[in-house]
Amino acid sequence: MQIEKFSYDNKIVRDFGIATIVWGLIGMTVGLLIATQLVWPFMNFGNQYTTFGRIRPLHTNAVIFAFVGNAIFMGVYYSLQRVLKARMYSDVLSKIHFWGWQLVIVLAVITLPLGFTTTHEYAELEWPIDILLTIIWVVFGINMFGTIIRRRERHMYVAVWFYIATFVTVAVLHIVNSVELPVSMWKSYYVYAGVQDALVQWWYGHNAVAFFLTTPFLGLMYYYLPKMANRPIYSYKLSILHFWTLIFLYIWAGPHHLLYTSLPGWVQSLGVVFSIMLIAPSWGGMLNGLLTLRGAWDKVRIDPILKFMVVGLTAYGMATFEGPMLSLKQVNAIAHFTDWIPAHVHIGALGWNGFLTFAILYWLIPRIYRTQLHSVKLASTHFWLGTLGILFYAIPMYWAAVVQGLMWKEFTPEGVLQYPNFLATTLQILPMHMIRAFGGLLYLIGVILMAYNLVKTMKAGSLLKNEAAEAMPLQPLTKREPTAHRRLERKPLTFLVISLIVILIGGIVQMVPTFLISSNVPTISSVKPYTALELEGRDLYIREGCVNCHTQTIRPFRSETVRYGEYSKAGEFVYDHPFLWGSKRTGPDLHRIGGKYPHKWHFDHLLDPTLTSPGSIMPAYPWLITQTLDTSLTKKKLEAMKTLGVPYTEEEIANADADLMAQAKEIAADLNKTDVDVREDSEIIAMIAYLQRLGTDIKVAAE
Amino acid sequence: MFKQITNLGGNEWYMILSLLIFVVFFIVVVVIMATMKKDYSDYMKNMPLNDSNDQEIRD
Repeated sequence: MQIEKFSYDNKIVRDFGIATIVWGLIGMTVGLLIATQLVWPFMNFGNQYTTFGRIRPLHTNAVIFAFVGNAIFMGVYYSLQRVLKARMYSDVLSKIHFWGWQLVIVLAVITLPLGFTTTHEYAELEWPIDILLTIIWVVFGINMFGTIIRRRERHMYVAVWFYIATFVTVAVLHIVNSVELPVSMWKSYYVYAGVQDALVQWWYGHNAVAFFLTTPFLGLMYYYLPKMANRPIYSYKLSILHFWTLIFLYIWAGPHHLLYTSLPGWVQSLGVVFSIMLIAPSWGGMLNGLLTLRGAWDKVRIDPILKFMVVGLTAYGMATFEGPMLSLKQVNAIAHFTDWIPAHVHIGALGWNGFLTFAILYWLIPRIYRTQLHSVKLASTHFWLGTLGILFYAIPMYWAAVVQGLMWKEFTPEGVLQYPNFLATTLQILPMHMIRAFGGLLYLIGVILMAYNLVKTMKAGSLLKNEAAEAMPLQPLTKREPTAHRRLERKPLTFLVISLIVILIGGIVQMVPTFLISSNVPTISSVKPYTALELEGRDLYIREGCVNCHTQTIRPFRSETVRYGEYSKAGEFVYDHPFLWGSKRTGPDLHRIGGKYPHKWHFDHLLDPTLTSPGSIMPAYPWLITQTLDTSLTKKKLEAMKTLGVPYTEEEIANADADLMAQAKEIAADLNKTDVDVREDSEIIAMIAYLQRLGTDIKVAAE
Repeated sequence: MFKQITNLGGNEWYMILSLLIFVVFFIVVVVIMATMKKDYSDYMKNMPLNDSNDQEIRD
């Protein structure tokens, strides 16, 4: 038997590594900017392309898909080749994957500030980019499976299972969550509406966290932690239990993002129960990681790389304990829509994803450059700055969350709201937001130090582009292997199919009845489709990203029905493609805003929010007044909605432009009466029409 | 405490079915795990440590 000589591709690993650093710096800088916007509205720069609503998705997309995404590929391309003893299947596919992924990110950076968004959180990119992303993901899949098939190691190490599950699940999530009907190049509507759209979005949103931020990083942990600590993983058997139960359970948990909404009760309950069960595999994974370090804790004291790993794993444990707690209905009632949620997310993002990424970069870059790290001391400084940054970020946010969550619910002994003005609760927590921004700044400074340290390291060494390796080729099996899982570990495609089935079960049980059994979404006869003008206004609401700060779903609590009005019903959203329930109340809920104030109030408020609400941190939207409403697509939009099942008549579609103008004239005339000088074709008219319509349909029936 | 998962107005079957699917799945995984041989799991455990030639720069 001849030993085969081949080489590992280190160049692609380096490329993804550099992209990780660059996008990390950009994404976190944008994060710091939006954190300051939540304290000082002038940081929106009075410019429509830099308002919070438009660049908050830029931050989330940049850190998730650009920073963490590139880090995943860096880690996978290095470890996959080595545990399989094979070079990546195709250098060309590696290159296409690398540049294609960067292209997707650049397109996101361009389109999101321009207001091209689908509004689905963490999936805001419009349909052409969705298609490009699908192609690039498939390229990655072919490259990965090609490598697996050409491997020289019969069995796939646990890291590889996590990579396979990541690939297949992200593909399923992305495709199902991106079924859109295009209206133009940069505008589309989701085929799902209201409650169903919400269920799909949070099935996706939650599992983007699970299968983009968690499973690939668990795979990386299972490879890099043993390397860094120079000892094998604590328990291989535990990793089997960890892997299968984690991927099975995660997929069910999405509905915990929609507790107390009009989602059917049994779906909410399933979300709660499975979220709580999820503690077990999550902690199993964390413990498997931490116990790997048994007997190596002396190294943790001196090695910043291991320090990053330990705090990263601890942050993972904290976030995965916090998640199930937050999905308990009683806790959720107070914490949801508050700063607790961004704090929870950042424990995961800054602690788990960030710290593991830094550790891998510090470990990997010197190795592929055949040198030592430029400065271990600087890396230690980075570790402490990062850890302090996380604490300064999270603790004030928890504090702010409890303060604001309780203020929203506080009643006086006479039975009226203690803080009827929402703004009073916002102003109370601004100091906390300042400290949070400071925490973000510390964290960012740490990353800048890392970038410097790694650039110095790269300059000191030289990249070993192709690392020579040798291994025996795979021999045909002569005897049957004794256990089922052992056989499975050498059958990548069977493994893929079984993982696919496991992750589909939860989604199917929750979605199919919600979509097909009509009693799950009771209709309301008085709920009618939006008029042409209101629909255009809704699209402006989408463009400006209002949904990033304002919810449109009132939960059935006394504190909410007194503050906002009647709680939201499933039947009210049946024409909402997409749903706009939101996930965070930086400002008040808007579902019953319709008819609450005169047109003039909305006009003043959008022109300068501090005119009506002194101290408001909402950015001003003066361009809505100067810009002319684009009605070139109105008819097409109505037709698209009709295709999706919204009952517009042929007549309504044919007269869309005239109807739109008539309604616009009415609103403009009313504004003119109150001495407001506004053109009837300006965008603000459509926005006001939409806001005044919100949540009013059920009131019509009551009268 | 269990009100939120018992008051489902006739939809309890979704819960029971889901739990049942998981329990069956979990038992299968546990059985597979328990029947695994120790020498094999030791071999798999050491895979990342035996995979590259960077020994010379390991400290």
